Amino acid sequence: MVGQFDSNDLAWVEQLPKLDDLQAGSLNRIFDLAAQLPDDWSGMMGRSTLQEDFGSLRFQLAYMSYALALAHVHRLPAAPELFRKPFDQLIQKILSPDVWTYWHYVGTGNGPFNRALGELPATWDPVERDNIMYSAYVQSMALLYHYLFRDDKYAKDGALTFSVKPLFWGMGGRHFPYDERSLNEHIYWNMVQRGYLGIACEPNCVFQVCNQVPILGFRFHDLVYGGSLTEEVTDGYLKAWEEFGVLDDSGHYRMMVQEHERAAVSFPDQPWVDFWMASLMHAWNPDMVQRHYPDQLAHWAVEGPDGTLSIKPTIPPNGSDRYSARDFGWAAVCASEVGDDETLSRLLAYADRFLHPTRSDGAYFYRRHDQLLDADGNFAAMDPHTGNALLAYARLNVSGGLQKLFAGPLGDSHFAQPTLVDCTPGLDVRRAWFASDRNALVLTVAKATETGPVRLEVGNGVGRGDCRLLRDGRPFDDHVYLRGERLIIEFELQSETTLVLSWV
Amino acid sequence: MNIGVSSHFSLIDHHGQTVADTDYRGSFMLVYFGFTHCRVVCPRALSKLSTVLDQLGDRSRMLTPLYITVDPQRDTPEVMRTYLETNFPRFTGLSGTPQQVDGVKQSFRVFASRKADSNEPDGYTMPHTAIAYLIGPDGEYRAHFADNLEVETIVARLNVILEQGAER
Repeated sequence: MVGQFDSNDLAWVEQLPKLDDLQAGSLNRIFDLAAQLPDDWSGMMGRSTLQEDFGSLRFQLAYMSYALALAHVHRLPAAPELFRKPFDQLIQKILSPDVWTYWHYVGTGNGPFNRALGELPATWDPVERDNIMYSAYVQSMALLYHYLFRDDKYAKDGALTFSVKPLFWGMGGRHFPYDERSLNEHIYWNMVQRGYLGIACEPNCVFQVCNQVPILGFRFHDLVYGGSLTEEVTDGYLKAWEEFGVLDDSGHYRMMVQEHERAAVSFPDQPWVDFWMASLMHAWNPDMVQRHYPDQLAHWAVEGPDGTLSIKPTIPPNGSDRYSARDFGWAAVCASEVGDDETLSRLLAYADRFLHPTRSDGAYFYRRHDQLLDADGNFAAMDPHTGNALLAYARLNVSGGLQKLFAGPLGDSHFAQPTLVDCTPGLDVRRAWFASDRNALVLTVAKATETGPVRLEVGNGVGRGDCRLLRDGRPFDDHVYLRGERLIIEFELQSETTLVLSWV
Repeated sequence: MNIGVSSHFSLIDHHGQTVADTDYRGSFMLVYFGFTHCRVVCPRALSKLSTVLDQLGDRSRMLTPLYITVDPQRDTPEVMRTYLETNFPRFTGLSGTPQQVDGVKQSFRVFASRKADSNEPDGYTMPHTAIAYLIGPDGEYRAHFADNLEVETIVARLNVILEQGAER
């Protein structure tokens, strides 16, 4: 017996979260992309050029990192080391000049929505002014990394340096050193100076959705360092947007405001605006999101074959054929966040049937497809952002997942619990949960990519009392031993196996 | 940390004297921006900050409380003096030309924007940043206090900073 529980009755284990095949595949896709060599963007390039659209590398990298965070916190909380390295790799990738040097050109403006400002001087620092569509992802990712793993790597001076080192111009290149706190402060004061309405993406263009991201970053800052930046900014944000309305008269979220003209700009038939806004704002303003979501979904949803569901796609302007699935992808993310399980299930069923699902070495994603419709008239477009990041996010999230993360679920007790700290490379970890009421760590693992016995290393397991190990409900104590501060479990793995390591 | 906030200004106080930030060296400055026609935010904040100063006791003498207008068109030094001496006598009001006020707004990274409102006197209001800034005796930014902070929190933080300041 362990405490008051029958240790061989593992029915309780089946109640704990466990990744299914497609969730594990989605996670593996993110792991694979995160592990690609620096500046290898294979499988991540869409139709657009110059990193200009809403599926650009920065968005893919950021939402893959958010998906990792949600999967870790809500589904595999006892396996932080499974997530730390790929999360860090994604941060390193978003610092690449490939991701941010577009700003040198975009920052000059003089386009349709910022012509009033004239042509602005070209600058290299990608976070100095405007460009919240990039800076806030770096800010939020770095602070989220710190929060999730209690690792202050990005708090060190210059840890977030935007650096370009060309060979044939620039004499030494350009280097803009920040760290998670200085970047956060910089964004905060830019927000103050804008009266909390928000910071522009492209010059003059204050997108509502892109200003949800620094709010997430401020919250992760407050969780790590204390303070109440989040409350201050969200209070100010709601007051500032009273001038324009967070929503328009028809119940759809405002897309953006032109800063110079103080004029709201909306375009018809942009479902992504509603779903993206709702997905992020649900973290701090869930009542508003929940109130408007049903009507928004009803407005944009399109019935698909056999009970599946799709979303009316945005048609690109000016005859462009750069179709994407971001309306669909954000609808799936939104459904996952607001807890609309039926809609999420119907959308994913549509994706799994019509949107080019692909399996590759344990990974699952949706490959790029540039045509809008298939031969039967079904929506068929797919872009890398949706196929790699958004549908994985939707599949790995839980109801209110971002809202719960925003609340700050990880306390000292979480970091003191036994966790999986290392394992055989490529091991398919489906469950990692510490049941504090039973003082037991539950790990479910499937196949490994390497041959031979698999190895699991457990940290925070020493000094908790005598431990015993069960494998699929049977005693397995002779496969666990102590090495240093870690408990090592080694065994031959033929099929999916559940281990329960408990302390008495 | 350099956050881009500078305390530089050249303005006119509510006694009609030209003043600059350098005139306040050696004392902490507690700076709040607003306008005297403000119905809610300024009265609430100035009242709260006055309570903070009361609760600091003798230590409040280390501070110079300043109220800088973002509405120089209406807030002349005379208007500021009447408003503050009647309602918030701990504060000294600062005004100036629109260019001078724009300069100090830029220095402190303050937002303020004229907004038409037919329900307001003269048909406009001035939404503005509702932050109290603490500037050190050396003229450097030390801290700021957001509008959502309670009196007790501000007092506690000020006590720590002022204590450190006194030991220098």
